[in-house]
Formats: sequence, structure tokens, C-alpha cells
Amino acid sequence: MPAEGDFARILVVASLSFRSAFRGMRTLGLVAFALVPSLLVLSLTTAHASPASMENAAQVLLGLLTLPIVVMVVVLVIAVAQFRNEIDSETLVYLTDRSVSRSTLVTGKYLGAWAASLVLVVPAALLPLGIAGAAGAALNPTVVPLVIVAATALASAVYVGFFLFLGLVSRSALMIGLVFGFIWEELLLLLPGSVPRLTVSYYVRCFLSGEVQTGPLSGFPTGVSVPVAVAVLLGLAAFFVIASVWALRNLETAPERVSA
Amino acid sequence: MTAVIDASDVTKRYGEVLGLNGFTASFEPGITGLIGPNGAGKSTFFRLVEGQLKLDSGQLSVLGNPTWGEGAFRRRIGYCPESSAMFDWMTGEEFVIALLRLDGFPKAEARDRAFRAISTVDLVSARERRLGTYSKGMRQRLKLAQSIAHDPELILLDEPLNGVDPLGRATLSALLRDLQSQGRHIIVSSHVLYEVERLTDQIVMIANGRALAQGDLHRIRDLIDAHPHVIDLDTPDPRALARILGTLDHVVSIEFPGPNQLRVRTRSPDAFYQALPDLVLQEHADVRGLRSLDDNLDAVFRYLSEGGR
Repeated sequence: MPAEGDFARILVVASLSFRSAFRGMRTLGLVAFALVPSLLVLSLTTAHASPASMENAAQVLLGLLTLPIVVMVVVLVIAVAQFRNEIDSETLVYLTDRSVSRSTLVTGKYLGAWAASLVLVVPAALLPLGIAGAAGAALNPTVVPLVIVAATALASAVYVGFFLFLGLVSRSALMIGLVFGFIWEELLLLLPGSVPRLTVSYYVRCFLSGEVQTGPLSGFPTGVSVPVAVAVLLGLAAFFVIASVWALRNLETAPERVSA
Repeated sequence: MTAVIDASDVTKRYGEVLGLNGFTASFEPGITGLIGPNGAGKSTFFRLVEGQLKLDSGQLSVLGNPTWGEGAFRRRIGYCPESSAMFDWMTGEEFVIALLRLDGFPKAEARDRAFRAISTVDLVSARERRLGTYSKGMRQRLKLAQSIAHDPELILLDEPLNGVDPLGRATLSALLRDLQSQGRHIIVSSHVLYEVERLTDQIVMIANGRALAQGDLHRIRDLIDAHPHVIDLDTPDPRALARILGTLDHVVSIEFPGPNQLRVRTRSPDAFYQALPDLVLQEHADVRGLRSLDDNLDAVFRYLSEGGR
């Protein structure tokens, strides 16, 4: 019998991860959270704000709320659960006791979690602009949405990798992830000098300001060029995937009662 | 005959807790029962064999391979864990198919194999139900199905009879014998000796992380019979009865736990029960009640783990 290659196995793991991300009441909570920026922009229409104000608001919300907070939290919840829930519930053993490599498992989990995150965060990023556009804002209908999708995908790619790794190495991954998102990512951005370069948000903002020519998004720092920002973000994502493979290869799954 | 699993002085610690403590045993081809009380180290041993845990010291080979790590070798092992946690959002059939596909089986073959394995454990009618709706017994059977679906050489079953009804146990026994006849090697853990007695006469006894005894069931039975059984007797004159019973050479000790009680330890409970009625009649002893306190495995494990003292 010819055994299927790693690619087919990656797809199997990715499919399992994708499906597991959308179960239970957690999904409803994430959807509701992802809709917050859209609801805020929608509230401006009821206040009869001008189309230009709405477009501005949509861009500001994208830079200050959607990318650093909504995307981060949604990805955190989805990605941490991939390994941490399975370790805690002892279901990971079903995957690790198969003749599938740890790198395949991590890659599959990464892709599944990334795809699941994008399903929630891309609409969360685009919908406010769509609402502004529907209200008459003069958006570039092609470039801006594409740039926003790319920025969302890049930010998610790094966050999924980091939170996947956290879920493997720490029982307190959710708490550490929140501290990372709200303290590290937010506070370091406010510090002077090169300190903001230590955050993911800095490179996402550089990417946005390099690609969007008008509006608040164009006013972000341009400390690094778009290609460098993309390379750093993709490099970070790859680094965390590799770190996760290392962590899974060294992970021991003890029985529920450790003395058993 | 080459051992399926060879463990030599295997030690595994969880921080301060010893999971296995110098465990040495050899598992021969066929069905072997791994018997021990809860917390003895059975699951730790299986996880080590499965490559889910790293040895701290000692040597462990499974089908001639070292255990820790990943690789194609895993496909030669089927593992049915003790925990009943599963992916509750999947159907039973999806679960088995997904695991087979992780083993590299193409989709069509994975479907066929999953169906055959699910049929074997008699879950065909429930195969499209979500696992969250399965009873504990059904989960046990599905766990077994996933552990045999890829035709492994070695099957590790961690407490597979927990939560299974009598009919299910009979079915499982028949299935394991069938798998054995196909040349599979099976290790079944349990904390209940009689459960495993029905499956095999090859036993490894484990307690406190150590292998206490290994061999066929008759040898283990001899050890169990050598265990001093404790028998309490109710009598209005314990000292008179103690003088009578003290003449029996298999009586190890006599105590007086209460004013009208006598506690006897004997190395031969059968001989004791045989001799007691005659002694009572001949010596006009007044025995009003009798209880055996430790006709259970825990007492035997304690006895064996203390070195037969």
C-alpha cells in the first residue's frame, strides 16, 4: 500500500484544526468580538457622520483596535487551544502516537489555525471599510482592501506561530498571550528610539503606511521599507513554527494521574 | 523466543513523583496482562513504550526499537489510552479515518479500514454519531477500533475493560483472542486480576513502579497463595481459641484486636478453612463468626512489594 506523503497528512491535520476552532459557544464569542469595529463604524452612520469621517474612523479603528487587539485576541484564543487544549484533555496522544512527524503536526496545526483565524479577522478588518464605502466614502476599491487583507494575514501569521508555541510550552499560555498583546505590543510601541521595533505591530504598521497613500493608515511610522517589514513578519512566523516543532519533539505527554 | 518488549531497570520521574522505579520485565509474544493497583505505573509504562515519555534511566526496547521519538516505527504499534477523552465534535467514523490518514493511508483505504475496525467493535450503527454522544463503553470500543485499524503488530490496551458491560467484555475477550491468532502481540493492563485471567495466563505484576512478579498465572497464583491471609474470628474466649489454632503450622501470627475477637494470619487459607471445623468440634471451641479481610489484590500487591515478608 503506498503511504500518502507529508502534504496529504498536513492537510488532514489542518482540516482537523480548522474544524476544531469553530466549536461551541467560543465561536459565537469570537464572532461577536470580531464585529466590534464594524459596530462602531455602523454607529457613526446613525450619527449622520460624513463619509470622509467614516473612512477616517474605519482606518483609525483598523490601526488602533482591529489589528492590535481584535486580531490578536481572536488568534490567541484559536491558536493557543490547538495544542494546549489537547494536552490538557489528553487527546494529543492520538496524534502523536501515529507515524506522522512532529513537523507535519505543527505545520498542519499552524495552517488550520491560521485559516480559521483569517475567516474571522479578515471580515473584521474589511467590514468597517465596507460600511464606510457604502456610506459614500471614496475608497480605492481594490488597493485598500487588498492591503488590509495582506496586513491582517501577515499579523495573523506571526501571532498564530507565537501563540501555537506558547500553547505547547506553557499551561498559562492564554494569560501570557494577553500580557504580550496588551503590555508588550501596546506599551513598547509608545516608547522612543528603536524599542518599538521589538513589536509585531511596528512592522504591520510600517507595511500599512508604505502601501496606503492617504488617511490615518498612511501616517504610521516608516522606519523600515515594505519588503523588510514583510520579510521580518514572515521570518518571525517561520521562527515560531520551527520553535513549535522543537517544543513538540521534546514534549512529554504524561498520563492524567502522573503517578499512574 | 524474542521478547516483544524488553524493559531493564527503567525509571521515570515526574518531578518528585516516581512513575516507574527500576522496572524490569520482558513481554513475550502473545497476550500479556499488566496487573497492578491504581497508581502502580501501568499508564506510565505504556506511555514510555509508546514514545510519549522519555526514560530517565534504564533501557527499553519495543519490537527491537528504542521508543522515544517519531517515525514510521509507530505504525507497528496500536495504543488504546486509558483516558476516555476524544475529539467530541467528530463522528466515530471521522475519528478513525483521520487517524488512519495520519498514518499515511489514502482516503479510500482509510475509509475501508475504519469501517472494518468499527464493525469489529460492533459500532457500525453509531459510526455517524458525534463522539460527544457516546457512552463510556462506546468510547472504549472506539478507542480499541482506532488502535487496531492500521493492523499493528503490537497493541497496547490501557484498562480497556473500564466501563464495558459484561457482554462487551465477552466480545472484547473474543476479539483479543482473534487478534492473537493473527499473530498480534497484545498487552492489556488492569487493576483487576480476574478480568485479565480470562484473556491470558501470561502476567506481569506491577506496584509502586516496580515489576513484582512475572510469568504464567499459576506461578503468580502460587505467590498469591503464599501471601498470609488475615482471618478474623468472633469468639467469647479468644485465648482458648488462640491456644487451639496456635498448633497449626501454617498459622503465622495471632492477635487480639477486640475483647471477643481473634485475628489469625495463615500462609495456607485453604488448609486453615479445612482444619477449623474439626478443631472446633474436637476442642469444643465456641466460634461465632469468621471473616477473611484481604481476599483482594491490593493486599497481595502490598505483600509482594514488601518482599514477601
